[in-house]
Amino acid sequence: MGLETVAYPFIFLALYFESFLLVTFFSSPARTKRAQSPVASPATNVPKVAIIVPCWNEESTVAGTVESLLALEYPADKLSLVLVNDGSTDGTASAIDRYAAHPQITALHKPNGGKFTAMNYGLEHVADAEFVGFLDADSFVAPDALREIIPSFDAPAVAAVTASMSIHNPHTVFQRMQYAEYAQAITLRHIFGSINGLYVTPGPFSFYRLSVLKELGPFKHAYLAEDMEMAMRIQRAGLKIGNALRARVYTKGPPTARKLIKQRIRWTTGFMRNIFFDYRDLIWSKQNVVLGFFVLPLGIAAIGGSIIVFSLYVFQTIKSLAHSVSVMSAAPLSYALTVHPISWFYFPLTIPLLVGITMTALTATWMAVGKYSSNTPGRLLPNLPAYFLFYTFVAPIWIIRSVSHVVRGARTTWR
Amino acid sequence: MSLFARNALIALGITIVLAGTLVLTVDYLNRARVNQLSAIEDQLSIDTLSLDTQFSLLEAAPCDSAASSTALTGELSDLGSRLSYAENQLGTTNPQVVRLKEQYSLLEIRDYLITKQLAAACGTKPVTVLYFYSNANDCSNCDQAGYALSYLRDTYPELRVYSFDYNLNLGALQTLITVNKLRPKFPAFVINGKTSYGFTSLSNLESRFPKGALATTTATSTATSAKK
Repeated sequence: MGLETVAYPFIFLALYFESFLLVTFFSSPARTKRAQSPVASPATNVPKVAIIVPCWNEESTVAGTVESLLALEYPADKLSLVLVNDGSTDGTASAIDRYAAHPQITALHKPNGGKFTAMNYGLEHVADAEFVGFLDADSFVAPDALREIIPSFDAPAVAAVTASMSIHNPHTVFQRMQYAEYAQAITLRHIFGSINGLYVTPGPFSFYRLSVLKELGPFKHAYLAEDMEMAMRIQRAGLKIGNALRARVYTKGPPTARKLIKQRIRWTTGFMRNIFFDYRDLIWSKQNVVLGFFVLPLGIAAIGGSIIVFSLYVFQTIKSLAHSVSVMSAAPLSYALTVHPISWFYFPLTIPLLVGITMTALTATWMAVGKYSSNTPGRLLPNLPAYFLFYTFVAPIWIIRSVSHVVRGARTTWR
Repeated sequence: MSLFARNALIALGITIVLAGTLVLTVDYLNRARVNQLSAIEDQLSIDTLSLDTQFSLLEAAPCDSAASSTALTGELSDLGSRLSYAENQLGTTNPQVVRLKEQYSLLEIRDYLITKQLAAACGTKPVTVLYFYSNANDCSNCDQAGYALSYLRDTYPELRVYSFDYNLNLGALQTLITVNKLRPKFPAFVINGKTSYGFTSLSNLESRFPKGALATTTATSTATSAKK
């Protein structure tokens, strides 16, 4: 039995996950969601909505964020914005004060206390809205995004609705990688949103019923993953989290490997700490079997599997390379560079290679489905190589470091 | 049954079918490899027998059959490479691989004997290398030795390299080992009847060949290693 057989259970789980996605994508709830119509434009008789924008040192982007919110196709008398400056040290304060006189906008300032405190401070200033949403100050929305969100609150049990995020104008190789990754995430969120399997309501343009937030209490620090913690709190309360497939929100991805890894360590440690320390009861929970018996156990298995499969891959590659170099040192280098006749006989078709090809094809398909079903702008094809060349190697780095953080009890920082 | 339970069961079915398809695909390719090896060996068996018969028929002028021998050992070389790859893919203990290696070893021995007979009858002086390796994890330099021999064979096409798995349970092979008084020490080389052991470098290996043999002999035919 070779060392690679250790990876086979994880390979089977990965195939199982993909199969489940496929079946659920074509199931009735997901099909119904895809057919859902937005609020008619111009909208009448629609609920009051408030959108909170927590800001910390976002002087260069907050104006774009606010302008996109003011451009939302939604009755002005039903939409209010709350801008919260969380003790910024740059020009954010004056940037949001420029909107202070706007009839739809409330501009607030407070000492720095962290994102969750800014969100709670904003909530305190929301008066009579039925729904409240949040938008990070480095993101902006499509004009029809809110019209797409509201119909997803189609049942009283739906406490929150997430949007479809994408990377705006990717430039660096890591942003391109994220563009493809986010396109796939749109599909995953759509599929799991259709069966109440979401465990995070991301900062960019997630909406909540204000009554639910008041009932469940304010946002918490939650290991710098306040959006994940609130989603888990909603799930624990037996409520639902939906997804609006065509509610497009654009965000900036970290442009460098260092910043990307930092962000993902925050996300991954946030997931692990919340689920292991505070919400362990959600795993194997019979109240929400999708989350309890599928999403969370597989999410945890994916962390372990990534580390094991990546370690095996690195070990086998180094071993194989060292052996090849050792063997080829027995003859002149020119001999190793000789081109030998190609024959199908020598094609190294193995199970891991076939699984790799299958998974690559499925992943690319989900990315295309996410992009085109949500009408996300941009081109997917030029960004695929960055994903397939780099993601496999970069993701294990933040996963391994996240596990190390959690095991050592290390403090995770925002930036 | 809930939607989740139904989907989970269907997904399990799809996964099993998918995994089964992947396993069967790889198995099919491996079988195709073995079948191709088997077909090549069948053809080689016929060619060997034909050459043998040709040699007997032309006892009065045996050198006329030398051209056929060249073609035969060229195919033997290709078979060796393929067999080595199949062994890596399927494992050294795979019954089909073992059977094919036994047949291959017999063909090599037969070609070696014909080469010797032709040399005696025609007065040629071919350089032959009998190379013995082991797959029992007791030969750390066998891969390097096999690679160096492949290089020498490709550089000097007149070189005849015959490689054997020392541990193969084959009567004719064990007789060859006994005749050459080989000890279980690897890699082992019998170069034009002279025995040596171990591999350190290409130049060291070249120094074991008869003086001028690698530079002056003319191309006739080759055989390659079945492993390493």
